Amino acid sequence: MSLRVLNPNAEVLNKSAALHMNINAAKGLQDVLKTNLGPKGTIKMLVGGAGDIKLTKDGNTLLKEMQIQNPTAIMIARTAVAQDDISGDGTTSTVLFIGELMKQSERYIDEGMHPRVLVDGFEIAKRATLQFLEKFKTPVVMGSEPDKEILKMVARTTLRTKLYEGLADQLTDIVVNAVLCVRKPDEPIDLFMVEIMHMRHKFDVDTRLVEGLVLDHGSRHPDMKRRAENCYILTCNVSLEYEKSEINAGFFYSNAEQREAMVAAERRSVDERVKKIIELKNKVCAGNDSNFVVINQKGIDPPSLHLLQQAGIVALRRAKRRNMERLVLACGGEAVNSVDDLTPDCLGWAGLVYEHVLGEDKYTFVENVRHPHSCTILIKGPNDHTIAQIKDAVRDGLRAVKNTIEDEAVILGAGAFEVAARQHLLNEVKKTVQGVCLWYISLFTTIETTIEIHMIYIKMEQRAQLGVEAFADALLVVPKTLAENSGLDTQDVIIGLTGEHDRGNIVGLNQQTGEPMDPQMEGIFDNYSVKRQIINSGPVIASQLLLVDEVIRAGRNMRKPT
Amino acid sequence: MREIVTVQVGSFANFIGSHFWNFQDEMLGLAADPYGDPVFKTQSLNMDVIYRTGETHQGTATYTPRLLSIDFQGSLGSLSSKGTLYSEGSNEPSEVVTWAGHVSTHASEPQKKNLFLQSLYQEEQDAPLTNGINGEAKDSQHEIQDTDIVNCLDGGVQFWTDFSKVHYHPQSLYEVNGLWMDAKQFDNYGIGRDVFMENLRGEEICDKLRFFVEECDHIQGFQFIVDDSGGFSPLAADFLESVSDEYTNTPVLLYAVRGPRSHMSLSSRKQTVVRDLHDAVSFSRLSSFCKMIVPVGLPSLSRSKTSTFLNIEDENPYHCSAVYAAALHSTSLPFRMEPLGPTADLSDVSGAVDVNGFVQMLAGQSRQNMVAILDVAMPGPCLSGKQDKQSLLGNLQPLTPEVVEDVDDLQAVESMIVHGAIGSGGHRLSVSEVKNAVHGAYECATTRPMFCHLSAARCPLPIPLPFPSIFGNLVGQHGALLGSPILGSSSRGSLDVHSIPMAARTRSSCAIMPFLENRLANLRKFGIERGCPGTELLRSWGFGKDELEDMGETLSKMVRTVDPHSDISSDSD
Repeated sequence: MSLRVLNPNAEVLNKSAALHMNINAAKGLQDVLKTNLGPKGTIKMLVGGAGDIKLTKDGNTLLKEMQIQNPTAIMIARTAVAQDDISGDGTTSTVLFIGELMKQSERYIDEGMHPRVLVDGFEIAKRATLQFLEKFKTPVVMGSEPDKEILKMVARTTLRTKLYEGLADQLTDIVVNAVLCVRKPDEPIDLFMVEIMHMRHKFDVDTRLVEGLVLDHGSRHPDMKRRAENCYILTCNVSLEYEKSEINAGFFYSNAEQREAMVAAERRSVDERVKKIIELKNKVCAGNDSNFVVINQKGIDPPSLHLLQQAGIVALRRAKRRNMERLVLACGGEAVNSVDDLTPDCLGWAGLVYEHVLGEDKYTFVENVRHPHSCTILIKGPNDHTIAQIKDAVRDGLRAVKNTIEDEAVILGAGAFEVAARQHLLNEVKKTVQGVCLWYISLFTTIETTIEIHMIYIKMEQRAQLGVEAFADALLVVPKTLAENSGLDTQDVIIGLTGEHDRGNIVGLNQQTGEPMDPQMEGIFDNYSVKRQIINSGPVIASQLLLVDEVIRAGRNMRKPT
Repeated sequence: MREIVTVQVGSFANFIGSHFWNFQDEMLGLAADPYGDPVFKTQSLNMDVIYRTGETHQGTATYTPRLLSIDFQGSLGSLSSKGTLYSEGSNEPSEVVTWAGHVSTHASEPQKKNLFLQSLYQEEQDAPLTNGINGEAKDSQHEIQDTDIVNCLDGGVQFWTDFSKVHYHPQSLYEVNGLWMDAKQFDNYGIGRDVFMENLRGEEICDKLRFFVEECDHIQGFQFIVDDSGGFSPLAADFLESVSDEYTNTPVLLYAVRGPRSHMSLSSRKQTVVRDLHDAVSFSRLSSFCKMIVPVGLPSLSRSKTSTFLNIEDENPYHCSAVYAAALHSTSLPFRMEPLGPTADLSDVSGAVDVNGFVQMLAGQSRQNMVAILDVAMPGPCLSGKQDKQSLLGNLQPLTPEVVEDVDDLQAVESMIVHGAIGSGGHRLSVSEVKNAVHGAYECATTRPMFCHLSAARCPLPIPLPFPSIFGNLVGQHGALLGSPILGSSSRGSLDVHSIPMAARTRSSCAIMPFLENRLANLRKFGIERGCPGTELLRSWGFGKDELEDMGETLSKMVRTVDPHSDISSDSD
C-alpha cells in the first residue's frame, strides 16, 4: 500500500487476487491450446478481419497469431515459444503442463497451503522426474548409418499430429531423407541446408524431395536455354553490372566525348569479368556436350546477360545468400568472389538444370547432382494457407529427426512416459521427501536450536510431499487431453493406464479404442530433448507465478497522454 | 532502365506511401484517359522506374508498385495481406484438405469496407459492362456519391488502406506479427530492438526485397520511408544494415518521417529522457546505413508556414501525410525523367537525375553533409510577373523539424523541382519559362546557394479522389493562388481542386545545425556523461558505453562537417 503514497494511480492487487489472476490466465491459455494436442486434435482455421485464412494445429503458430495482452499469459507464451525455438516442438505441451500445475496448486492453496511449500515440492519432483527420464529413455545408436526406421517413427509421430495420415506418411520419408542428406559425420546438423520451396500448383500430395536445389528465379534473358543437361555450375558473388563508381564520377568530365569515354571505360571492366567467365566455359566445355550455368549472388545487367547468352551460358542473378552455401554443398565446387583466378576446380556439377514457369513466378531446378549435402523440399498445394500449414509441419518434422540424431535417444510416446513418471513420483519419490528433510535437520542440529523449530520444519518439509503429488498429477494432463480430444472418458483411460503401469507394463493410450497399448509396437516416439525441456521449464514458470503475491499496475496509466 | 525500389516501414510511413501511390495511380489513370488533360500524357516520365509489370497465374497482366511495405499485423484494415490481384477468386472453398479430424473456425469480425473502398469494388465489378458507355445520368449519380466518399474519408480514416486505390503485389505487404503488445507500447528504440532478428523475420523481409531487386535490370537506388518515432526504427536500421551489406553499391535515400502523434508533449521528465534518447539513437543508427537522410515531419504542420494555403488538422494522420507525400512525389520526379538524348523534346521535362547523382550532388560535394532538408511550396506559387520574384523562394518552407529559418550559407547545395507551374495569365508555363523564372528569382535573392540543380516538368500534381480536403479557399481549380477567397466552405478537397503546381527543394545547408546539435547534446547529457539518467535505459536497449561514445563521435563529426567552428562538437573530451 505504500505504493499508493508514491503513485496514487497505481492499481494494486493483493495476494490472493494476484494469485488467482495468474492461475486464471494460465488456465485460459491452456483451454485455448488444449484441443490442439495429438493426432485426434482439432485443427484451427483463423480468419482475419480482411478474410485472410490461416490454418494451424501448431501451438507455436497459434500463440504467435493471438494478440495476447494479459501479462501472465505473455510470460507463459514466451516460455512456450522459447521451447519451440530450442527444441522445435512441445509448445502445446508446455502450455498445458504449466496450466495444469497451476490448476493443481490452486486446490491446495485454496485449502490454505503456502505456495512456497508447493514450489519446494515442485523442485524435488522436477529433479526426480529428470532422473527418471534418463532411466526411461530408449537409447538409439547413431553410428555412421543411423537407424532409419526409428527416425521415421519419430518423424511420423510428429507429422501425424499436424497432417492427415496419408500426407504425413508421405512426408515422413521426405523429411528423414532430407535430414540424412544434409547430415555430415561429426558436425552439428544445419537444417538451413534443407531449402523449403513452395509452388501454388496442383495438390498437397505432389510435394516431393528434390536432391539438389530449387531456386525461385530464372534467367532474365529470353534466348537462354530453358533446359540444360550435364552442367558445370559456377557459383559466384561477382558484380556483373555496370555501376557508377563511388567517387564523383559525374563531375570529372567537361564535354560529351569525355563522358562517353568514361562510360565506355567502366563498361569495359564489367565486360572483362564476363569474358573471364566465358573463357572458363570454353575451356571446360570444349569438345564435349556439357553446358555451363552461372549462378550469381550479385546482379547481371542486360549487356552482360547478352554476352553470356551468346557464349551459350545460362546465367541467374541475385541468388539468395543462403543458396550460395547450399549450391556448393549440393553441386560441389566453391563459391568464388572474384573472377581473377577461376579454375575448373571451382565448378560444381549437376546432371540437369531446367526452368519451370508458373505465371510470373519462375523456378530453376538444379537436379541429378552427384553427392548432395543439401536438398530441397518442394511443397505444392492448391492455396496459400494449405502450403503454409504443410510448411510448418515439415519444419517440425525436420526438427524432430534432427533432435533424435543429436539426442541419441527417444521417449515412448502416447502418454506412456507421463503415466510412468507419475507412478514413479507417487510410489517412490513421495516417500523419500521426508528423508530429504531429515538430512536438512541433521544440518540444523549442529547449530543450537530448539526442538520446536525442528518440529515445525519437519512439518513444513513433509508438506512438500503435496507439491510432489500436485506435480505428479499435473503430468497426467497429456494422456488426459489426448483422451479428451479423442472423445474418450478421461477417468476410464487414466485408471486403465495406471493399472497397467502398476503391473509393470509400460503402456500408452490407443486413441482409437481407448485401451492401453504398447507405444513401442505402434512406433510412437517423442523427442527426448523436447520432453526434458518441458519438464525443466514448466515448473520454473509455474513456481514464479505462484510466488507472486502482489501485482502492481503502475506503468499503464502514466503512459496515457495528458 | 533505372529502377527504384521503395520501402515503407512503420505506420506513418505507410500513410505517406498510400498517398504517394495514389498520386502515381492518378497519373497513370490520367495518362490513359482519352479525355484527360494532355499535359499528363507525357512520354518523358517513365513510370516503370517505380512500377513493375507482372502476370497472375491466370495470365492477366498486372502493373503494381515496386514496393515493400512493413507494418503491424492488423494495420492493413480490410485489405488482405495477399492483395486482391493475385487471389484466385474471393469465394474459394474454405475446406481443409490437410486434416481429416475436427476443424474449428475462429473468425474475427470482418473489417468493414468504407464507402470509398465499396465504390472501388463496385467499379471493378461493373468495369467490363460499362466500358465506353458514359451515361450522363450515371455521372450525376456519381457526383453525389463522390461527395459522400470525400466526407466519409475526411471523417474517419483508421488504416492507411482505407484511402488507397492502388492494387499491391502480394510480395509487397509484410505484417510484423507475434509482438504481443499493442501499437501504443511499441514506442521506443528498446522495444523494437530484436524484432528484425526474431522468428526469421529478417530473412522473410530480405527475401521479399530480393524478389523486387532480382527483376531489376539496373537498379538506381532504394527509397526508404521510415517512421522512426517508435519501435520500427531499430527494425529499419537492422534492415538497412543488411541491405547495405547485400547491395553494397546501390544508394539508399532515406526519409525519416514523423507522424503528428510522435510530437505529443510528455508529462514526466523520465519520459522526456526516453524520447530524447530515442531520437538521438534512432537518428544516429539510421543515418549510418544510408547515403542520405532527410528528416521529415513537423511538430505542428498546421501552424507552420508550409500550410499558409492549407487547412490541416494536426491530429489527423490522413491530413498530414498528404502534404509529406506530395513533397516526396515531387522529389522523386527527376528520378523518372528520361535522360536527355539528342532528340529529346525539351518542352515536357528537364533536369533528369538519378538517385546516385542526386545523392552525390547533395551529400558528396564540397562538404560531406548527408543530412538534407526538405522544403516544399504547396501549391507552388505563380511564377511570372516581375513584381513577386521572391515569392517562389519565400514560399518554399521546410518540412524538416528543428532548422534555422534564415541562414546565409555560402556552401549550400540545393536540388529543386518545379512542376506544373502556372504563369500570371493562368496558363501552364513551359519548362524553359520555368527555368528562366527560377533563375530570375535566384538573381534577386539576397542569399544564394553555392550550387542549385533545377528540374522542371510540365505536369502538375494530380489530386486523386481519396485526398483530404485540406486546401484553403485561396486555391483555384488548377491550383492557382487566387487574389480573393472563394465563397463557400473554407476547406476545399479533391472535388474542387483537380491539380496543383508544386515546388520542392532538397538542400544540404547549415540550417540543419539545431537538429544535429539537439541530438548530440541529448545523447551526451542523458547517455554518455557520468551519472547521467539514461545509462541503465540504454544498456537495456543493448548499447554499451563504447558504442555510445562512437555514436556521439559520429554525431559530432556530422556537426563538424556542417559547421567546423561549432562549440558543441569540440567538447567531446
